[in-house]
Amino acid sequence: MNNKRSALSLVALLLTLCTLQPAFGQKAAPSSIKIPYETYKLPNGLTVLMSVDKTTPTVAVNVWYHVGSKNETAGRTGFAHLFEHVMFTGSGHVPYGTHDKLTEGVGGDNNGSTTNDRTNYYENIPSNYLESALWMEADRMGFLLDTLDFAKLNAQRDIVKNERRQSYDNQPYGRVSEIFSAAMYPKGHPYSWPVIGSMTDLSAASEEDVKAFFRLYYAPNNATIAIVGDFDPGQAKEWVKKYFADLPQGQKVERPNVTLAKLGVSKRLVYEDRVQVPRLYIQWPTVGMKNEDDTPLSVMGSIISGSRTARLTKALVYDSQIASQVFAFQVDNEDVGEFQVVVVPRPGHSLTELENAVDQVIAKFVSEGPTAEELQRAKAGLELGFLRGLESNLGKANQLLDGAVFHGDPGFFSTDYQQTLAVTAADVKRVAAKYLGGNRIVLSVVPKGKKDEASKSTESETVSLLLTGAKGDN
Amino acid sequence: MRRHNPILATCASFVIALATIASLAQQPLDRTKIPPPGPGPVLHVPVWTKTQLSNGATLIVSERHSLPLISFTITFVGGSNQFEPVDKRGIAAMTSSMLTEGTAAKTGDQISDALQLLGTNVNASVGGEEGAIGFVSTSTNFEPTLSILSDMMLNSTFPAEALDRLRGRTLVNLTQAKDQPTVVGAQVFAKVLYGAAHPYGQRATETSIKAITRDDIVAFQKVYYQPGRAIITIVGDTTAAKAKAAVEKGLAGWTKAGDKPAFNYPQLPELQPAKIYLVDKPGAAQSVFNIGLPGPPRNTPDYFALQVMNTILGGQFQSRLNANLREQKGYSYGVNSGFGYGRGPGAFRAGGSIFSAKTNAALIEFMKELKGIGGDRPITDEELQTAKDKLIQGLPARFASVAAISNSITTLALQGLPDDYYQNYAKNVSAITKDDLVRVAKKYIDLSHLAIVIVGDRSAVEAPLKATNIAPITILDLDGNPVSGGGSSSINK
Repeated sequence: MNNKRSALSLVALLLTLCTLQPAFGQKAAPSSIKIPYETYKLPNGLTVLMSVDKTTPTVAVNVWYHVGSKNETAGRTGFAHLFEHVMFTGSGHVPYGTHDKLTEGVGGDNNGSTTNDRTNYYENIPSNYLESALWMEADRMGFLLDTLDFAKLNAQRDIVKNERRQSYDNQPYGRVSEIFSAAMYPKGHPYSWPVIGSMTDLSAASEEDVKAFFRLYYAPNNATIAIVGDFDPGQAKEWVKKYFADLPQGQKVERPNVTLAKLGVSKRLVYEDRVQVPRLYIQWPTVGMKNEDDTPLSVMGSIISGSRTARLTKALVYDSQIASQVFAFQVDNEDVGEFQVVVVPRPGHSLTELENAVDQVIAKFVSEGPTAEELQRAKAGLELGFLRGLESNLGKANQLLDGAVFHGDPGFFSTDYQQTLAVTAADVKRVAAKYLGGNRIVLSVVPKGKKDEASKSTESETVSLLLTGAKGDN
Repeated sequence: MRRHNPILATCASFVIALATIASLAQQPLDRTKIPPPGPGPVLHVPVWTKTQLSNGATLIVSERHSLPLISFTITFVGGSNQFEPVDKRGIAAMTSSMLTEGTAAKTGDQISDALQLLGTNVNASVGGEEGAIGFVSTSTNFEPTLSILSDMMLNSTFPAEALDRLRGRTLVNLTQAKDQPTVVGAQVFAKVLYGAAHPYGQRATETSIKAITRDDIVAFQKVYYQPGRAIITIVGDTTAAKAKAAVEKGLAGWTKAGDKPAFNYPQLPELQPAKIYLVDKPGAAQSVFNIGLPGPPRNTPDYFALQVMNTILGGQFQSRLNANLREQKGYSYGVNSGFGYGRGPGAFRAGGSIFSAKTNAALIEFMKELKGIGGDRPITDEELQTAKDKLIQGLPARFASVAAISNSITTLALQGLPDDYYQNYAKNVSAITKDDLVRVAKKYIDLSHLAIVIVGDRSAVEAPLKATNIAPITILDLDGNPVSGGGSSSINK
């Protein structure tokens, strides 16, 4: 329960996913790749998704607001994530504490998460508590500002600062993602600041700034709700109507016009951290989830790292043994993406040596592309991964929501599955050449006082970051 | 919200019907009314068969046909605490990792490729009191995957070069762990509570990892992976008969040997008067707290009372500790508490990461809550009811996936709990009274003997901690050894 209300550390999450073996398959889509669902829209613009599964007497309610850190403006960052906290502190008709009582207190759980692109709020509950969950979600969508005052805002600001200390500042290598965001995107670009935002911005935000942000982005027309699990859809529709239908539609939300990162020159950075083992990070700008290159880039990630015989893993961890771990993966946001390689050295091997070794493997891969067998292996786990996702109400809800919010089609998971199966060796070779051959950012994280351990240290520029109030500032 | 009361449940559906009529009549919705729950769902505990195989292993099969998935796990009773020599700590984990490095028939690369083509992965690990090897696969790929698992478990060749590579990686991991304040906190806490002579206070170190030879690994594999201490759990899209046939074929070479180990732990070191153990982490933005002392084993008759008590104290988001230190005071992103249980004296622990500047204030609040639960702050009816509801109504989630079901069933066999444990769970939790809670809180949260381990920036937190006058301070290094000249301050309580 301790990590409640977070889900910020994208890199940490991706590292976990990578160690869990990425999942892709080779046969034609089996009949089990399906989530039956229905969808409709209320007149106020709220999109509703429902999927019944009576396997376990529980139900998941999951609301996605199409707002993330990229909708913030420079100087006022961190709002989307701050709301993720404020949304659990009570609303017009739901007193503080009720939310936890009617979820966790009845054997369920709740949480929220924020990314660059969207914010979500969910409850897993025994199926007989569905109505109260809908009541609470509707109340914070429609009446959050009724009870939001300065004191409440301040209390949550303090907790967010603690979250930042715990997840970034007191975490070895915890500042890497924000260093990359700032280095990859020009100042003021919607993806140039971290999801958790600047603590200075949060401290400076007025009550009115925060309220205006809420009015625009947390209206029914910017939200999609999914109900998945053991429930009666007819009854659920009545409840959705009862609690959500009279919430007023908000202003039309203008989506930010986001340009892809254009790295005019490659950059070399070095950051001193409180660590004993240095690490090498290499990142190339790529494309977001809606681009046709996204899927081959993801497949490439699982061909060059993850399994024992994957290209980088085999060369660096098993053959030359200069690294203890290596990860490579495509990060796909709604509008932009990056391909990242992370290498942890074995003692006695410099980051320069690692970078050269990575370059050699990648150059070879770019020139020859994957073998048919590599491609087949990379796709083989897709079916199992998908099936295991179907075991969770919340997992299914997230699949449907991801499709509805980002691709305009709740059934997009099936398209995605087919697209992954259809990726060819030529596709992977093409994206390898197109993206891994271009400009990039190389970041060395080294122990304090050991900048000379950076890869090609004399060419590297030092990154210095302010620590978020280790002392004072609370 | 007492959903187990059938009369109330009927009332609830009546209220729902009324509400529907009201909305049809276009009356304004009264949003201040909390919608009551519907009738509580009937708990369906999965059923399973349990048989003894001729090689001594126990086979448990539970059918679930909703998806074409099968979870397969062999669990071994006893773990590193029972089987590792003290100077070779880490050998169990090392051996389980070595199972992926090649067999008489296949190289490590071939095993990895074959499993990847089957879309799955065989995971092997050994913890303190149990070990496991297993996988989740599609039902189609179940038998071929089982055959690879069997080959790995029984025919591994343990190449020497692979051991050197794994050792190198393990040493890097140990170094990286020292940079993680939460890991350091947990390790030092265990050492302070149990001492170096008790298995609970021991762990793999650089020295022990370097001492492990290939012969040690070969011997450990023979001694440990024996059917006499194994529980084979198969859950999913199969039948008891098919599963048994698959196991008899897949594990045909696994002949009768071994038995369940005794869990004889040495005497605990004598409890020390409450003390603060400060581990210096210069510049740390937060202080990592671990407060506690050795607790009861899993089979304690106080188990249900302890679960309810801890739920109120620190076992959920709305618990007293988190409500106070996070929600009201804003000192932390989250704090909690729990019991370690197990076959021996697992620890009671309360803790979390605290904003450095609030280290002293947080300690005062931790102590207040630990004292409060023992009677200073009476437990309310609502606290008691919510804690019971949470535990009882949370049961279905323990059966939500094939892996979760496997884990829930295997735990019973592993901890020696009865087969009807889940059927009786609600009854056992419901029977707990406030008096029970106060009694177990006083008995197991002994305030005068708490070890308070704090990993943080000594220069910033030592003086304020001293000023709280809660307990004397001892300075320890990252390995939990006293720092010379570090016994900074002794204080009268």
